[in-house]
Amino acid sequence: MHRLGGVGLSAFDRHNQSQRSFAQLSSQLTQAQISHLHSQLAQFRTALSNFAVTHREHIKRDPRFRHEFQQMCASIGVDPLAGPRRGGWWAEMVGMGDWQYELGVQIVDVCVSTRERNGGMIEMDELIRIISKLRGVSGGEITEEDVVRSIETLKPLGAGYQVVDVGGRKMVRSVVKELDQDQAVILAVARQLSGKVVEEDLISRHGWTRERARVALENMCLRDGLCWVDDQDPSGMAYWIPSAMRWDL
Amino acid sequence: MALSTHTTSTGYLLPSIHSAPPFFTQQPNPTTLAIATEHWVKLITGYARHRKLFFLRVEDAESPGNDWAEVLRNERINRRLPPTYLSYILEILVNKNLAAYEPPAQTRAVMLFWRLPEEWAEVLHEWATSTGQLNSILTFYDITDPPLESPLTGIPIPLLRRAIGILTKSNRAQIISIPDGEGVRFFPGNKYVG
Repeated sequence: MHRLGGVGLSAFDRHNQSQRSFAQLSSQLTQAQISHLHSQLAQFRTALSNFAVTHREHIKRDPRFRHEFQQMCASIGVDPLAGPRRGGWWAEMVGMGDWQYELGVQIVDVCVSTRERNGGMIEMDELIRIISKLRGVSGGEITEEDVVRSIETLKPLGAGYQVVDVGGRKMVRSVVKELDQDQAVILAVARQLSGKVVEEDLISRHGWTRERARVALENMCLRDGLCWVDDQDPSGMAYWIPSAMRWDL
Repeated sequence: MALSTHTTSTGYLLPSIHSAPPFFTQQPNPTTLAIATEHWVKLITGYARHRKLFFLRVEDAESPGNDWAEVLRNERINRRLPPTYLSYILEILVNKNLAAYEPPAQTRAVMLFWRLPEEWAEVLHEWATSTGQLNSILTFYDITDPPLESPLTGIPIPLLRRAIGILTKSNRAQIISIPDGEGVRFFPGNKYVG
C-alpha cells in the first residue's frame, strides 16, 4: 500500500521540502506584514511630523496645547521624547533641543495639569514623583538637580517657571508674572467685598481648596505686591487689594 | 467700607490710609513695605510737628494712653501698630536722617527731626537775634524754657546741642563754661559767613 509521504528515504526529502516551502511562505508573509507596518508607521510618522511642524509654534507657545499634544501622543503609544537621536523625535521636529528640554516639557506638563489644585506652586518632591511616573521605569531616574537645570533652560520661553524656597522647602512656581486666572478671580471677589479677601471667601464662593486659595493670595502679595496683608483681622489673615478699595481721598 | 480721612481730638487730620486695616501690619512684600513705611514716616513727622513731640519710643506702641495713641492706634477699626513694626519704622527714620537714636547706642527710642538740625540752628539764631540776645551768655535752660514761649520751648538738650554745634561752625555761636554747667553766646552773621 502506498502511504502519502512514503516510507523510503525520499520521504525525508519530501518532508524537508515542504517544510522549506512553508518557511518560505511564512517569511514572505512576515515580510509583507513588516513592510506594511513600516509603511504605516512611516505614514503615521509623516502625519505626526506634519502636525508637529504645522503646530510647532503653538506647541512651543501654549503649555496647555503642548500638554494635550503630549497626551495625544501618549494615548496612541508614541513617546514624543523617544527617538533615534539624543533628544528624540520631539527635538527633531519641534526643535526643542536636548534632554534638558525634554524634562522641561514634562515639568511644564505636570505643573499645568496640577495648577488647578495647587495654584501654580508644587513641591519639588511631588513634582519629581509625578514626572518619574510619567517617564516610566525606562526613562531613568531624575533628580532635583535635573529639574532645577531644566527649569533654567525653560527661562527663554518666558513662562516664569522658578524654583523658590518656601520655609526651607523647595517649590516650583509655574504661574506667570502677569495676572493669572486665579488672580483675576481674586480681583473680582475683592471688588465685590470692597477690597478685603480671606481664604474662606475663595473657598466658599469658588470651591477652591484651602491650599489653592492660600497660594494664590500669597502669590499676589509676596510676588506681585498686588495686595496688602492684615494680620490683625479677627478671621486670621486678611488680604486687601488696594485697587479694589474705595478711597475717599 | 470707604476709607476716609479723620480729624483727631487734637485737631490733626489723619490721612485716609490710616483707616485701612492692613496699614497696621508690617507688609511681607519689600516693595509694599517700603510704600507703607513711607506713609508712616510722613504721618509720624507730620504729627510730631503738629503736637511738637520730640520723642518716639517703641513702648509708645505697647500701651495705650500716651501722646502717640491717636496715631499708633485706630480704635475705629480696632487696629494698632505692632511694636516690632514701630521699631522697624524708627530704624527707617534714623536711616533717612529724620531722627536719631536718643540716647545713643540703643534702638528703642528716637529723637525726631521734624525740623532738621540745620533748620533748628537757623530758628535758634533767628530767635536770639529777634529777642535781642546776641552777645549775651544764655544757659540752655534760658533757651528751652524761656519766659515767653518760643519755637524752641521744650527742645531737647541733645537737639539744642546739635543746633548750636552747627552755628559754631559758621562762627555764630560759642559754647561757654559757666559756674553751673554750660552756656552759649550767639554772634551776628548768617549761615553763608564761615
